[in-house]
Formats: sequence, C-alpha cells, structure tokens
Amino acid sequence: MADPYKPRAPFAPWDRRQLPGLFDVEETARRVGNYKWAEMKLFEALGGWVATVPELDVKMRLGTHCYHHAWHAELWHKRLPELREMNPDRLTVPANDALVRFVEALTEPEAADQTIEKLVGVYRVFIPHFIAAYTYHKNNTSEITDAPTIRSLGLALQDEFEDWRDGEMMLQSLIVTADEVDRAAAHQAKLEKLMVEAGGIAGPGSIGSV
Amino acid sequence: MRKFFPVEELARDARFTQITMRESQADPRSSLVGESTGKRPKTNRLTPSRPDASDAARSLMHGIFVGEIQALEGAGRTCHDFETGDGRTTDTVPFALKLDMARQAWDEARHVEISVKLSDWMGTEIGQFAENTVLFEVACSNDPVLRLAGVNRALEGLAIDVFTTMKEFGDLAGDPYLEFCEDWMLADEVTHVKMGSDWLRRVTEDDPERRKKALEFQSVVDKIFSFGGTRSDSSESPIGLARRFRELAGFTDTEVTEIAEVSLAALEDRKAFSAASLQADATTAS
Repeated sequence: MADPYKPRAPFAPWDRRQLPGLFDVEETARRVGNYKWAEMKLFEALGGWVATVPELDVKMRLGTHCYHHAWHAELWHKRLPELREMNPDRLTVPANDALVRFVEALTEPEAADQTIEKLVGVYRVFIPHFIAAYTYHKNNTSEITDAPTIRSLGLALQDEFEDWRDGEMMLQSLIVTADEVDRAAAHQAKLEKLMVEAGGIAGPGSIGSV
Repeated sequence: MRKFFPVEELARDARFTQITMRESQADPRSSLVGESTGKRPKTNRLTPSRPDASDAARSLMHGIFVGEIQALEGAGRTCHDFETGDGRTTDTVPFALKLDMARQAWDEARHVEISVKLSDWMGTEIGQFAENTVLFEVACSNDPVLRLAGVNRALEGLAIDVFTTMKEFGDLAGDPYLEFCEDWMLADEVTHVKMGSDWLRRVTEDDPERRKKALEFQSVVDKIFSFGGTRSDSSESPIGLARRFRELAGFTDTEVTEIAEVSLAALEDRKAFSAASLQADATTAS
C-alpha cells in the first residue's frame, strides 16, 4: 500500500500548466466585456430572425443557437465581477465603432428570401471570428490564475464549433446555383471588410499580432 | 431588421395556410356546432373512445405544432425587440429576462421538433390543417410585460391544459410514445409559466398600474385562448383545465377559478356564435 504521508510534487508529472499569461486582470475584463456585448448582439439577432425565415429546419436551428449565445453572454456576465468589475454593464461594450457598424450590417437582411445572407453573416463571418478570438485567448492566458476564463472559453468554443458546422451545412444546402454562390460571397466580403476594420470581436489584437 | 415584426409577414414555406381566429371559429366542422342538430354527444372531451378521436387528435397535434412555431418566434422576437435595461419602461427588458426568453426559444424549438415527429407518427402531413396566427399576435405587444402575461401566463397555461389532455389521451390509447413526449413538453411549459409569473411580478414591482393592465390583458387572452370553449372544466370541452399542473406553475386557487369561469363563458359564447353562423348559412342556402 502506498504511504499516504510520502511527500508528492504539488503538480503531478502530467500536469504541465504554467503561471505566465499574456493578459492581466484589467485586459481580461476588457476582453470579456467585449465578448459579452458581441454574444448579446448575436443572440438577439438570431432570435429576431426566427420569424423571418421560411425554412422550417433553419427556423428551429436559429432558435436553438439563440440560446447557446445567450448562455455564453451569461457566462461572461458572471465572470466580470470576478475580474473586479462590479458593474458588468460598464464593460459590456463593443470593442469599437467598426464593430457596431458590423452588427448593423449583419442584422440588415430581413426579407424571407434572404436566408442565405442571414446565415452567411453569422456562420461564415461572425462565428469564425468568435472561434478565433476565443482560441487565441484560451491559448495565451495564464493556465493557473485565469482557469475560470479558460473553462468558460472551452464551453463556449464547443458550442461555437458545433453551431458553425450546423450553419455551414444549412448554407451548403441552400446555395445551389452560381448566382447564390455570388450572393453569399458578396455578402461575406462586405461583412468581412467591416470585421477587418474592427480588428475582431475584441478589437485589434483579438488574435494577437503576427 | 425591424423591431416589432407584423404577424402578416410571418415567414412560412408553401405548405402552410394561415387563418385568423374568427375564420377558425366560424368553421362549421367544429364539434361544438352539433348542438343545434341534436347530435352532440354527452361529452366532448378528447378521448380515444370518441368516434372522431383520430382526426381530432391529429388536428390538435398539428395545432400544437404550429403553436410551438409561433411561440418560438415570439420568444425570439422578445430577445430582439427591446433594448437591455432595467425594464421599468416599455422599451427595455432586464438582461436576465432576455436570457430566459432565449432559453424559451430553445425549448420551443425542441417542441416544434417533437410535435412534427409526433404528427408524422400520427399520420399527419405538415400543412394538412390551417394555422391560426392569433398566438403570435399576442406575442407582439409593444409592452414586454404584456407579452409575459399574454404568452407565458395565458398561452403557456393553455399549453399545460393541452399537453395534460394529450398525455391522458396517449395513456388511454395505449400509446406510450405520445404520452412520453407530452410529459416532457408539459415539464417545460410549467417552467415557462413560472418564468412569466416571476418576471411579471419583478418588473412591475413598483408599477401597480402596469401590473393591473398586464393582468387584464392576460384575462382577455385567456378568454381568446379558451379557444371558444375548447378548453374548460366542462365535459363539453375537448380539453380539460389542468388544475394540478397550474398550481405547480404558480397559479393561485383564485386565478385558476377565474380562468375556469372565463373558459366556461367562452364556451357559451362559442355555442351562440356557432348557432348564429349555422342560422346565417341556412338563410343563405334558402
């Protein structure tokens, strides 16, 4: 039987987590506030669009994904006070004006024949940028001091990947002509330009600098 | 995308046909119309022993299906139509209320999935019955508190009654698949009603006038959603009042009694309306 009093290393040999991280408390809170704002805008748009899309399968998926992003917003809302921001609303802001313009352009399509534009905005532009920013944050923050943020990032990322796959498959099923390919590409380019101007969902540095 | 989406523009594929509440109630095929012909059975409650049980159950399930679509759309719109704020004015709702509405959107999306599969199981095709859009109209009030009263308390309350009746129908018919699914949806609906009751109380805590207006609106919707007597304590109504589950959802005894009275009044109104419609048809024919 192993001796329970034998000294053991505080970190097991397989636990290679490190203390250093790129973000201090203030920077983490700023990013988390930006994430919450962006997730809120996304779930509000998805909820609003449900009534506007005639495709029954898409309608149901938008309702489901609406909750996923609301839940992410709730995770970030709860994280902010733990990052010394006792008034979460103060940091629940867009990273910059370009991101506000991006959301305005994202939510512009309303007509029943614009499902492709709605889905392109969410699944080919917005969600890929969430995946990028969350992945960068997860891989660069302190694995020990910021473990709660890492946990939330992991949970959110799992949803983001699955929702992105759902959305991409819905798009592939809807885009069946050359004209529709052009429509999707044109709308994606329009939104991507705004997102580039914004620098990502947390502004410049959302995925670091190369 | 606009704030406040008009009911006339609800997006549907080619299979759906939408009608108004008035058109629905004027339908002479209604089982309540039989009184004037003297052929109405002693009870109208939806049970497998009714001669028209199969068609009636399929019609009700299709009604649940389209109702769930509209409930999904309504919850989604409440996430979108109002700014996030303290909820003291009619143009804002609290952040946590929006989160609850998003959760409800997911629940309603699942209910659409469940009811479309149950409809298929029962041999019904999508669009086989008309879609009454009155539910979404109630979900479109400019005041979010009225939406909570009309949708979460009145409409979701009706859903408790409907799912209880369908669950019993599944039990009596020896259909565990139907009973199982209805029980799961019933659990969600009790949650939605409680959610509506809690938010109504919190948002109007310092505004008794707004609360009164909301409860009056709920009463009107309760009467509308009594479906002209389709739901009441009377055995003449196909759907019963699920008192026990309503208690679980936070309704007081007084509130349940009021709904029972409103439902019975709606039943009498409906009978008078149906008789008048038949009389008008007879006059036209002659």
